[in-house]
Amino acid sequence: MSKYIKLVHFEFNRFSNIFFILIGITIVSQIISVFTSANNYLGNVNQMVYREGMTKEQFIEQYDYMSLHQLTDSVWFVGPIALCIVTLLIYLFFIWYRDWFGKNSFIYRLLMLPTSRVNLYMAKVTTIMLLVFGLVGLQLLLLPIENMILGIIVPSEYTMDLPVYETFTYRYEFLVKLFPKTFMQFSVYYSVGLMGVLVLFTVILFERCFRWKGIAIGIIYCILSALVFTSPLIVQSTFLDNFFYPIELLGLIVITGLIVTTASIMVSLYLLKNKITV
Amino acid sequence: MIEVKNIRKKYGGKTVLEDISFTAEKGDITCLIGLNGAGKTTILNAIMGLTPIQSGQILINGEVLHKASYEKISYIPDTISMSPQMKISQGLQFMDDFYSSWNHKRASELLDFFSLSENERISRLSKGNIAKLNILLGLSLDVEFIIMDEPFSGIDLFSREQIAEVFTSNLIEDRGVIITTHEINEIEHLIDKAILLYDGTVLKEFCTEETREKEGKSVVDVMREVYQK
Repeated sequence: MSKYIKLVHFEFNRFSNIFFILIGITIVSQIISVFTSANNYLGNVNQMVYREGMTKEQFIEQYDYMSLHQLTDSVWFVGPIALCIVTLLIYLFFIWYRDWFGKNSFIYRLLMLPTSRVNLYMAKVTTIMLLVFGLVGLQLLLLPIENMILGIIVPSEYTMDLPVYETFTYRYEFLVKLFPKTFMQFSVYYSVGLMGVLVLFTVILFERCFRWKGIAIGIIYCILSALVFTSPLIVQSTFLDNFFYPIELLGLIVITGLIVTTASIMVSLYLLKNKITV
Repeated sequence: MIEVKNIRKKYGGKTVLEDISFTAEKGDITCLIGLNGAGKTTILNAIMGLTPIQSGQILINGEVLHKASYEKISYIPDTISMSPQMKISQGLQFMDDFYSSWNHKRASELLDFFSLSENERISRLSKGNIAKLNILLGLSLDVEFIIMDEPFSGIDLFSREQIAEVFTSNLIEDRGVIITTHEINEIEHLIDKAILLYDGTVLKEFCTEETREKEGKSVVDVMREVYQK
């Protein structure tokens, strides 16, 4: 097994306990939200339709059909998604700093492994991507199951016969960003996400190499990266008065994105190879 | 042979190593001696590629350090080099997974010798046992060179004796060793070469045997001469 794969396996295992806890929390919490939301809805049906004599149509007009979009208002449903996002955001830092701080000086061993330091870097990047895709995949698997449970609990005349994805992303735009509908959208959103991770890793490595000075360099690097990446949009809106067609603009953003991504990888690898200090 | 040639390092505007040069031969124990802040650990970190240098060169068997060098040289730092969350057994497995020079049999022998339990979590080890585990991890690699940073620092008498015993064993024989220590008495009779450092510079480099025979001076005698001038 190549050392890169071994490192990915190792890095993943280091987070696996928390990862599986997140998975557990997400499943339990969202299933709870399905049952509580469905029960509340049926409670309202009983109250309004059967006791107070409201017609079915009036009820639906007032309370809407029951579907996944009603769940996205529940803390039990969105809470675990937010928890996973926050945990992974914190882990973006922790995946590096855990090897330096406290009683931990595992970075000595990692830097002395008889393998290229590129593998060390790539293993951390890959682990983050695996964790993200793992949690996104879990959510996508859960949605039809949750929809099915809803369909079992709530009578069909009160449910909306729309695709699962449409009902899930109906209310909140951020859910569309997290769970894009098309492969193209998925590629764009998650490539931008990956680029952000790589820029952040570069900032962290600047800090690890040059400490306080590194933080300043890192912030400048971050601003420069943002400027380079968004430069087509800036130029388009300030100097060129919508000169480019949208597809051309997208092409330019892809190019600037690739520049920032490549620069971040190159700078990170240079720092890791030549400037890092324990 | 490890060759350190005119290395210079600045840290935070301060020069911490200034034109340091020395060699460490295979089969010899080379001891870097100096007060705190003399630059001993920084030199070892620089040899292992764990901290950058501004100028100079470090060669291991005539080559600049590269990834394969870590199968030829092993470092025993004065801090635990394994993840504290691991059990000792997981640490040994990690070494086995990544180093082709890992000698499983020797690791088991050293585990018994130091009376360490494989199931013990590293974060729960005492300072003495951490030093022993570090030595186990370093010596269980079939490498040509071993470098050790303060292996006797801050540990109890019995652990020190056990570690000193390792120095007289065949585990060290035939390998090139660079060691830094304050506890010079523990290993004075074993040292082949001493390098006296002060404030990031080499004050004196000498062969202990030769100095003993020709001048009748021990390492401590030479240290007194140099540092108390």
